[in-house]
Amino acid sequence: MKLFLIGILVTASVAGLFFMQQGPNAPDTQATFRMALSSEPPTLDWSLATDNVSMRVIENLMEGLVSFDKDLKPQPAIATHWQVSEEGLRYTFYLRKDVYWSDGRALRAADFEYAWKRLLNPETASEYAYFLYDLKNATEYNGGKIDDPSKVGVKALDQHTLQVDLKKKAVYFPAMTTFVGTFPQREDLITRFANRWTEPEHLVTLGPFQLKEWQHEYRLTLTANPHYYEGRPPLDRIIFYLVEEETTALTLYETGGLDRVSLPPIAIPSYQDHPDYHHVPFLRGYYYGFNHQAPPFNNAKIRRAFSMAIDRSELPQILKGGEIAAGSWIPEGMFAHNAKIGLNFNPEKAKQLLAEAGYADPSKLPEITLSFNTDPTNRLIAQNIQAQWKKNLGIDIQLDNLEWKVYLKQLQTETPQIFRLGWGADYPDPDNFMNLFTGTSGNNYTGWANPSYDDLISEAASESLPEKRLALYDRAQRILTEEDAAIMPLFFASQNLLVNPKFEGMMLNAMDILPLKHLRPISHKGGDS
Amino acid sequence: MNLSFLIRRLLTTLPVLWLVASLTFVIMHLVPGGPFDREKKLPPEIQANIDAKYHLDLSLGEQYLFYMKGLLRGDLGPSYKYIGRDVSDVIADSLPVSMQLGAAALLIALVLGLGAGLSAAANSSSRFNHLSLFAATAGISIPNFVLGAFLILVFSHQLKWLPPALWEDSRSIILPAITLGLAPAAYIARLSRSSLMEAAAQDYVRTARAKGLSEMRILFVHVLKNALTPIITIIGPLTAALVTGSFVVEFIFSVPGMGKFFITAVTNRDYPLIMGVTLVYALLIIIANLVVDLLYTLVDPRVQLE
Repeated sequence: MKLFLIGILVTASVAGLFFMQQGPNAPDTQATFRMALSSEPPTLDWSLATDNVSMRVIENLMEGLVSFDKDLKPQPAIATHWQVSEEGLRYTFYLRKDVYWSDGRALRAADFEYAWKRLLNPETASEYAYFLYDLKNATEYNGGKIDDPSKVGVKALDQHTLQVDLKKKAVYFPAMTTFVGTFPQREDLITRFANRWTEPEHLVTLGPFQLKEWQHEYRLTLTANPHYYEGRPPLDRIIFYLVEEETTALTLYETGGLDRVSLPPIAIPSYQDHPDYHHVPFLRGYYYGFNHQAPPFNNAKIRRAFSMAIDRSELPQILKGGEIAAGSWIPEGMFAHNAKIGLNFNPEKAKQLLAEAGYADPSKLPEITLSFNTDPTNRLIAQNIQAQWKKNLGIDIQLDNLEWKVYLKQLQTETPQIFRLGWGADYPDPDNFMNLFTGTSGNNYTGWANPSYDDLISEAASESLPEKRLALYDRAQRILTEEDAAIMPLFFASQNLLVNPKFEGMMLNAMDILPLKHLRPISHKGGDS
Repeated sequence: MNLSFLIRRLLTTLPVLWLVASLTFVIMHLVPGGPFDREKKLPPEIQANIDAKYHLDLSLGEQYLFYMKGLLRGDLGPSYKYIGRDVSDVIADSLPVSMQLGAAALLIALVLGLGAGLSAAANSSSRFNHLSLFAATAGISIPNFVLGAFLILVFSHQLKWLPPALWEDSRSIILPAITLGLAPAAYIARLSRSSLMEAAAQDYVRTARAKGLSEMRILFVHVLKNALTPIITIIGPLTAALVTGSFVVEFIFSVPGMGKFFITAVTNRDYPLIMGVTLVYALLIIIANLVVDLLYTLVDPRVQLE
């Protein structure tokens, strides 16, 4: 029947050609901000969203217990404050009493309890359920080992108090409640509208904007929420257009159709002196991993030699996007970043290490292949690294590129000798980056496991004194990138943007979180209440 | 019109669609990688929950039967990428846009192609003939991403006459429709020129001339009608291809059509969406070919539908 209905659309659609809507360049008396999204948001259900595009929209529709300030420091949002028990296992969040959903109903602590349990419910099948695995019994409930959600460590004590019990001390926990998956939800509406609850006619939110229109595959329109607890935002409207091609977005910006775009790499050098240009660091690392399970990279000396034979400063020069060359792993802009850590470029020492490993003659090494997923930037980097190893070590390596999903499958089943991967921050804490390479991490494709490293990461996660925590992460980073050279960090990424100077208050940050509630047109300053 | 022919043809549609669905199902599962493989690997508990939700924990044979049962009910299943949306919703949202764009491109292709073909055939030894032949060859050879970028540069950047992208008003359709329609126009021009010239050399045309009919009447009444058969033959699959969208053109001009799903559904391993767009495409090809067969009887009375 649905196929038949689609057939009927054949006729109807041609007729629709002449009834298209008013254009974007029509005079607009409202304070409207227009920007591009790189694809259709896969979902606006914040229990299921995993991608940056969906998050970008949700972050302007909703808020959680805690939000980040411009320096990515957690600050109270819906929670006015919170208390931590002496042993660090119980958090009690106290909620504001003036927060209302867009249908007029007051927010309740039970809305958080419902949302968190829904995230962990196996039937929801949320990919980011592990964000709440620090809660007592969360992993067991999500994994189906217990059926009773009341055993999960989250409980609404009354209308405005939420109690959270953790299974282990996690000093970063308040920062995790900035994540969209922890935002409150309305059980009544989700039960009533099922999969359709995120459509504009049903979606009820409590953030600075509300969803007015969602024309799938094309655009979303958000309008100011007059009931927002911080007051109505200065912007009347945000329009997100779905523009996948970066050069098309740039053309639209240049012709006045958009107010903010990300620059495609090829265009960055031409715009670096442009008054609208902004360069912002990004909490995203790019690294090459070694397969430790097979020769030759089961030998730390060889891994160190390969890492030391790379002059990482060449990479920002060829990529031209303001990347930060790095031999360490915790990115710039994050607590415990230490640029002094990492193996420095030293080709002589690298050759010596190879000789010590029994390969004074590099031609005796087995054939080595560097694998990456198909992408022009990845290829450019791989070719540079290939040339540097040839020049500095006299080693010929082969390059192998694969389509993304095929590449991921190969990482899981037949890990290449050297492989490319990246990691972007889920929350701005070093635990998110360093946990990646523990022996039990599912994202550690290297096959490397070092109990000392694992102990340091575990200890750092529960250490509340910043100085001690810093020292623990320094030590762990030295093991990861110098002593064991388990991976070879290359650089930290950056964002390159154009923003219409007619707007002020754009909050640019290293997490690429984009709250637009403080944004205002410069000629429109009297808009908020 | 032969009703039994129509019924027979419509009945043969079902096994064709079943074959297309089965082959697509097998081929897409042969490709390595799964829909929920991510850069950030999922914990096993979460992977198990997702597999159970989308029935990916069943054997491949069971998944096939599950899908086919749904298909018999007209249910194309949920998209794995666009969570909470059925594949039929995704297609219903995007196919009308592709059809609008495809219809406009087809119109351009037919008007320009037939016009150029007719002019060239009518002036077979003139400079115009050579010029149109050159233009048609160039039209086929220029990739549409080059043509699209060129049109944006001239008409949006320089002249500022037309929007460079988006799908806001009736002006938005012009550049993508030209980009999409020019190559088929060139193809139709070449085909119609040679077909018209072949028909013009037939004895009945000489007879018509001997009877003193005007050249215009000979061209439009005697030559064109008899030269249409090969053109109609290609219009069927061409229509199906144009109205289901073009990845490149939709990408360049940010058109919210269905064409992109032929690529992105595969790269995302969105199995139900791959099946959905393939079946819609197959269905449209079948319908277009049926219409072509019916049109044959109109232009050539010798053709009998049996």
